[in-house]
Amino acid sequence: MSVSPTVSRASGIRHLLLMAFRRPGLLAAVAFLLAVAIGTAWPQFLSAYDPIAADPLQAQLPPGAAHWFGTDQLGRDVFSRVVHGARYSILIGVSAVVIAAVVGSILGLFAGLARGVIDEAITRFLDVVSAFPDLLLALVLISFTGPGTVNLIFALGVASIPRFARVVRAQTFVIAESGYVEQAKTFGLTKAVLVLRHILPHAMAQVPILATIGLGTAIIGAAGLSFLGMGPQPPIPEWGAMLAEGRNYLRVAWWIGVWPGVAITLTVISVSVLGRHWQASFEGRRQG
Amino acid sequence: MNMLFRRYSLGLAAAFTAALFAAGAHAADTTPIAGGTLVWGVETDPATLNPQLNGQDKTKLLLRNTYESLLARTADGGYVPWLANEYRISDDGTTYTFTLRDGVTFTDGEKLDAAAIVTNFTRLKDAAYSGSASAGPVSRVADATALDAHTVELKLSEVYAPFLDFAASLEILSPKAFNSGQLKSGGPEIAGTGPFILKRYVKGQDIHFVKNPAYNWAPKTAAHQGPAYLDEITYRFLPESSVRTGALSSGQVDVIEGISGNDAGLFKDNPDFTYQNALNTGTPYSLFLNTTFGPTQDVKVRKALLAAVDVDAVLKSVYRGERTRAWGITSPIDSQFYDKSIEGTYGNDPKLANQLLDEAGWSGRDAAGFRVKDGKRLSVEIVQAQATVRDQRNVLLESVQAQARQSAGIDLTISYVDAGTYTDRRKSGQFGSIANSNTPTDAIDIENHYLPIDRGGSINYSRAAAPDLLAWLEAAASTLDTKERFTLYAKLQRFAILDQAYALPLYEPEDQIAAASYVKGINFRPFKQLPESAYDIWRSE
Repeated sequence: MSVSPTVSRASGIRHLLLMAFRRPGLLAAVAFLLAVAIGTAWPQFLSAYDPIAADPLQAQLPPGAAHWFGTDQLGRDVFSRVVHGARYSILIGVSAVVIAAVVGSILGLFAGLARGVIDEAITRFLDVVSAFPDLLLALVLISFTGPGTVNLIFALGVASIPRFARVVRAQTFVIAESGYVEQAKTFGLTKAVLVLRHILPHAMAQVPILATIGLGTAIIGAAGLSFLGMGPQPPIPEWGAMLAEGRNYLRVAWWIGVWPGVAITLTVISVSVLGRHWQASFEGRRQG
Repeated sequence: MNMLFRRYSLGLAAAFTAALFAAGAHAADTTPIAGGTLVWGVETDPATLNPQLNGQDKTKLLLRNTYESLLARTADGGYVPWLANEYRISDDGTTYTFTLRDGVTFTDGEKLDAAAIVTNFTRLKDAAYSGSASAGPVSRVADATALDAHTVELKLSEVYAPFLDFAASLEILSPKAFNSGQLKSGGPEIAGTGPFILKRYVKGQDIHFVKNPAYNWAPKTAAHQGPAYLDEITYRFLPESSVRTGALSSGQVDVIEGISGNDAGLFKDNPDFTYQNALNTGTPYSLFLNTTFGPTQDVKVRKALLAAVDVDAVLKSVYRGERTRAWGITSPIDSQFYDKSIEGTYGNDPKLANQLLDEAGWSGRDAAGFRVKDGKRLSVEIVQAQATVRDQRNVLLESVQAQARQSAGIDLTISYVDAGTYTDRRKSGQFGSIANSNTPTDAIDIENHYLPIDRGGSINYSRAAAPDLLAWLEAAASTLDTKERFTLYAKLQRFAILDQAYALPLYEPEDQIAAASYVKGINFRPFKQLPESAYDIWRSE
């Protein structure tokens, strides 16, 4: 009796090792995202300095033992700023995706079920929205609302609604026509039960995958708009804004701009790797 | 010993030969060669190309190629003939008479005559054309008349000491220009008399000038006479300082201006480049604190802010020692009116700052460490027009922001706004602080900032209206006695900075120019210190 947990743990570890051997990229991505998650939730665990405490006498110090990533133009610890910056970049990315996923799914489901004029109206509306590139649309929205964290989330969220709405609408079409829904109808289920229990869960199945992949795009979008000064305002340590601040120092203090750039790059790659892997397993493909 | 001597004499001979060669090369380098084109990377894209309406000092170096004024300044502040041969001020100080130079033509073919000058001054008085500029010094002109073809008389309503500085430097436009559709935006249709003709302007990209072959009326402050050396010059707008640095290092442009403190070293000690800088005149870059809105209405809060910041440390970290600290209401190089006794009399005293804030009732602290009173955070919003963010001022403001927070718990927020929002906020007075500098000389800068808003204080960002200010400024403007004016401005300086803390002066802006070593004749304007036009510039290869 006491043997089986050991065996299953051992096989679990073996499975992990096997996985790490076969998919080291995936494992690295997961590990990095875990670190980012810790940075997002408890940044003080990873960094010793206050990310906005400036010390003019310590400005532009190269990376070293005291400041792992060096200090920036105001003498702030770059490592602490990168760690604390995770919170803003991730928060903006995740919130924007949540807005897009929720609103997009509702619109898509509604269009898929209602059909006819309502479907036409929603679809055309989505066409109009997606006629603008995401970033451009977000820029336009921010020019109305003004810069800031909340406005940035809203703008990025709205800009990626069509992506979710389209997929959910198409899925809803397929599922509403499928045999088991037809079957369920013959049982005399009410429309509400039919939708909630049989159509919604299947129509939504792809949303988490889309969201994961979309998260990477949202983080890049957030960083890009922050770079342009549309996001969190100084001294908030947001990666895109830090990159913007560092760009004028590349010749003399590369570390100010490079580390936030590395953080953005690794996060987005990791999220994409995870999302693609998930998508592949969902579609029953196994990538070698 | 012998060996040593021989080595020494050999070295001497080598040095002598080298010196001879250098002298030869030097001679070749100092004889200007006409011809060629030049590309200059500049920071600021002009808001308008009409020099009378353009308040951006950084664009003067472009516009001065085409537009000239009545008199030029010498280094000691004197006036020498330019478009006018001579000037006279009546004994009562209210009538200014200018005699114009003969044979000057605008590049659109119009003649420069007294009527053209009258048109310029009278149109500038019209707010429909010039907006807020109409309330400036030109508003003092009661009457402008052409006495004959070459003589203009400007009658003032009362004595106004800075008037000559203004009238002498007003850029004169062709009378035809005032009927052009391009009048407000400026452009190739707006002709001047300068050594270059404005040919093309592409917003956000570049502005292109060609030589005016007929030009023959340079002031004697210029290094030569006759047409300019260069055939053509193009200024490319490169707003990013790192991009300008890269463009010059890689040879894409021949000259750049606006070099960050970090990059100065790349050109300073490099024989392939030249680097020169000059402090600006006028008001230092200062945080003007609004006396009619928010927490800065309380003089204790304003004084606390001045005490909280260690400006020296801030400047050192942001500019790596490449910028000059400012203390007063005008530039430290203003030889006429700057009273340097204010230096070192305030600032970098966190203890005082905290004591003042406690006294003012901002004694609580919130979770983020900022001071609070009645549940409200001690928050001062700095409003800065996006268009005037240059020279790493965003970094400077962030550094000041950090100091205010760390040493006194003051929350300075920084908002970069577009031109429209900026104008609205300025007009309505809904801001905590506006950060700005300007370059007018002869105390016009002081008037602009400290006269009441409705009495000519066009950029009175502290919105200060103490009766003393007006009294001192009026007294100073109505005498031509420079000594007395100095005393009055010195009094105002102590009142404005020490007693009332209307502004926190940060640094004196300066211009920097770096160029490839084959570009010769780059200079700063005497007295005004801004980069000079391309008139004297030539290429040695």
